[in-house]
Amino acid sequence: MSLFGTNTGFGTGGTGVFGSTTTDSHNPMKDVEVSSPPDDSISCLAFSPPTLPGNFLIGGSWANDVRCWEVQDNGQTVPKAQQMHTGPVLDACWSDDGSKVFTASCDKTAKMWDLNSNQAMQIAQLCYDRQLGQNTEGTLFWDTRSPNPMMSLQMPERCYCADVVYPMAVVATAERGLIVYHLENQPSEFRRIDSPLKHQHRCVAIFKDKQNKPTGFALGSIEGRVAIHYINPPNPAKDNFTFKCHRSNGTNTSTPQDIYAVNAISFHPVHGTLATVGSDGRFSFWDKDARTKLKTSEQLDQPITACCFNHNGNIFAYASSYDWSKVQI
Amino acid sequence: MAEGGDAEWELCKENIQPLRRGRDISVLQEALTQHQDGFSSAIIRQRQSFETELRMYDGDDPLDVWDRYINWTEQTFPQGGKESNLTTLLERAATRFTEEKKYHNDPRYVDLWIKFNCSEPLDIYRYMQAQGIGDLQASFYIAWSEEYENQGSCRKADLVYQEGFKKFAEPQDKLTQFHKALQARVSRQVLMNAKEEDSDDEPKQLERMSLADLKHRGKKKAIVPVNRTGTAVKSLQLQGAPVLGNATNSRFVIFDENKFTDEGPSEPRFEPWAAPPSSSRAKENEQKLQKWCDYGHTVMAPPAAKPTFQPFVEESDQPPTMTPCKINPSVNTVLSARKPCREETPLKRLQERQQQQKETEPEKGQERSMYCKELLLSGATEFCFEELRAERYRQKMSQDDVKGQKNAVTTNMTLLNADLLLHSLCCLIPDTKSRKQYLYSGLDRT
Repeated sequence: MSLFGTNTGFGTGGTGVFGSTTTDSHNPMKDVEVSSPPDDSISCLAFSPPTLPGNFLIGGSWANDVRCWEVQDNGQTVPKAQQMHTGPVLDACWSDDGSKVFTASCDKTAKMWDLNSNQAMQIAQLCYDRQLGQNTEGTLFWDTRSPNPMMSLQMPERCYCADVVYPMAVVATAERGLIVYHLENQPSEFRRIDSPLKHQHRCVAIFKDKQNKPTGFALGSIEGRVAIHYINPPNPAKDNFTFKCHRSNGTNTSTPQDIYAVNAISFHPVHGTLATVGSDGRFSFWDKDARTKLKTSEQLDQPITACCFNHNGNIFAYASSYDWSKVQI
Repeated sequence: MAEGGDAEWELCKENIQPLRRGRDISVLQEALTQHQDGFSSAIIRQRQSFETELRMYDGDDPLDVWDRYINWTEQTFPQGGKESNLTTLLERAATRFTEEKKYHNDPRYVDLWIKFNCSEPLDIYRYMQAQGIGDLQASFYIAWSEEYENQGSCRKADLVYQEGFKKFAEPQDKLTQFHKALQARVSRQVLMNAKEEDSDDEPKQLERMSLADLKHRGKKKAIVPVNRTGTAVKSLQLQGAPVLGNATNSRFVIFDENKFTDEGPSEPRFEPWAAPPSSSRAKENEQKLQKWCDYGHTVMAPPAAKPTFQPFVEESDQPPTMTPCKINPSVNTVLSARKPCREETPLKRLQERQQQQKETEPEKGQERSMYCKELLLSGATEFCFEELRAERYRQKMSQDDVKGQKNAVTTNMTLLNADLLLHSLCCLIPDTKSRKQYLYSGLDRT
C-alpha cells in the first residue's frame, strides 16, 4: 500500500485505481491498482462495514456489472465475485451486517445480492434505510420483507444524488432542489432547503457530529464548489459555508480558470475529514472544521468518478473513468 | 363532438389561454381532463422525450425540435402558467438561434419571437428589426402594427406596414389584406369620432368616484385623492379597448393626422439598434469594474468599532423581504413565503447574455466550465451527465434490438420458405416414407 497521506491528522493510506488504460499519467502516484477492473466507467464504490472481517470492496459500472474484491492487508486485491444487471449500475451499498449488497440499476430494478450464497435476486424491495431510488421522480422507501414499496414519497424533480445515514436521508434533485428526510418510525419529509449552491447538484454526503449522529451534509456541484450545510446550526450564517475545489490554478487573470464537476464526496469515518473527487482527475482531502485543504493529488488522465473510505479509514479507494462530462455528439 | 365533451370544455373555458392559431379540440379535451389531478405520467414522459431530443438532435434543422416542443407545450398546457415552462422555452429558443442567420426569416422562428414577446413588445420588435429577424416576413409587420394600434397610435401602425411594403415582406397579399383592414378600422373610428364631437359639445370629464377613502399604510400621512382622472384611468380603459372600434369607445381619443403639422419627436424612426435597449445602455460615464486592491490598498479599512451597547431595534423594523411566517414551514407546505425576486425582463437577460458573449470573446472570462454546459442546460429543464449517458445507452440498446429483430425476421422468412418448399414437395409425393426423407433432405438444403 502506498502511503501518501503524511499529514498526521489524516492518516490515510491510499489504494486502488481502476486504470482502464495503460498510459503514463493514469496512475501518477503509483497507487495500488485493483485487478480485473470493469470494462466501462465505474459509477459507485463501497467498502464493507466493520462487522465483516477484512476489507471487501464493491464497485458498480456502466458495463452493467457489480464486482466484489477482497482487499488484503498488503494492498493486493483479489476479485471475488460478480453479478450482472441488464442496465448500467448506478449505485450500490452494503447491508449493515455485511452479508448482502444492494444494487440499483438503469434497468429499473434493484437487486439484493447475498454474498454467502452468491445469489442475486431481483427484489422489488430494498432496505429502506439503505437505498434510495435514483433518477426517478419519486423516492421509494422499501422494506426487505414485503414486495411492495413500504412508502413512496413524491418529489418535485428528478433525483440526482442521495445519501443515507440512519435516521437521516438527503436527496438532491434537478433544478437545485434539496430535501431532507427523517427515517425514524415512518419515513417522512423533514425539510426542504434552499440550495446553497448556484449550479446543478452532483453529489451529496452526510457527515456526523461527535456523538456519531448525522448532523449535516456536504453538497457538491457541477461547477467546482462544495457546500457544507448543517441541519440545525447554532449560527447558520457562520456555520454553513461553501468552498471552491477542482479548478485549475489559473488565479492569475491572463488565463481563465477551468472549472470541473465534483463527482463524489466521501467522509472519513474516524476524523470527519472529507475527500472530494472531480472531473479534473484529482482527488482532494479537506478539513471542514479547520476549513483547510489537506492534500490534493496529482492529476490523472481521466476524471475520477467515485471514491470511498473503508470502515476504519485506513484505505481510500477511487475510480478513474470517463464521466461523460465532455459528451461527444 | 359528443355533448359531454362539449360541456367539459365549457366548464374550464376561462382557464384556456387563447392561441393565435387556435387549439386542437381533442388535445384540449385530453389536457383538461388530465390537469384535474396534476401531471399525468404521460405528459412528463413526453416532455422528457422532447428534452432528450433537444440534446441528442443531430440533423441540420435544430429549430424543428424546438418548434414541435413549443407547439406541444402550448397545446398541452391550455392554462399557461409557470409549470408549462413556456416562457422559459420561448426565451431559450429565441436566444439560441440569434446568431443563426438562416433562421432569421424562417416563419417558425419569427412566430416564436412574436409569441415570446410579452412584457415590452415595442422594444422587442425594434430589436428584431435591427437584427434582421423577420424583416422579410409579413407576420412580423402585422404583429408590430397591431401592437401600435393597441396602444392607440394608428399612424405608427400604418408606417409599420409601409416599412413592410418597402421590404417586400412575404406573403405580400396577406400584408396588403391586413393593411386594408387597418385602414378601414381607422377611417371608421375617425368617422365615429367626428359624429361624437358633433353631438355633444363639451366632452364629459373623466372621473371615477370611490365609495370610501383609501387607507394609508405606514407613518406617512399621504392621502390618495378620491377622484382620480388622467393618465391612470385612461390607460386602464385603453387596455381593455378592443382593436375594432365600436360605439363604446367614445372616450378613446383618436389622433387626427390631418391636424398634425410639425414633425415632432413622436415620429417613429427606424434607426438600427445595436443591441436591445435597456436602462443601463443609456448611462454615460460608467466606470468599469476594477480590482481595487491593485491600487496599493492591500489592507482593508478597519471595520467601524462596534458599539458597546445593544442598539435598540424596533420589533417591527425588520427587513420586509419575506412575509412573516407564523406556521412552521416544515409542517405546513401549503403556503410558503414568497422569495424576493430580482426584477428583470427577458429582453434585459438577452442583452446581458449578448454583452457577456461580446466581452468574453476578446478578453476570455475569468472562469471556464470544463463540461458540456450547453447540453445540460439547453431545454426548459436541466439534465445531468448520467441522464445524457443513459439516453445514449438506451439508443444504442434499441438500435441493437431493431437489428436483432430484423435478424429474427429474416430467419423466420427462410423458415417459412422452407415450409412452403416442403409443402409443395409433400403434395407431389404421396408415399409417407419418401416424404419423410424429403422432409429431412429439404431441411438440409435450407
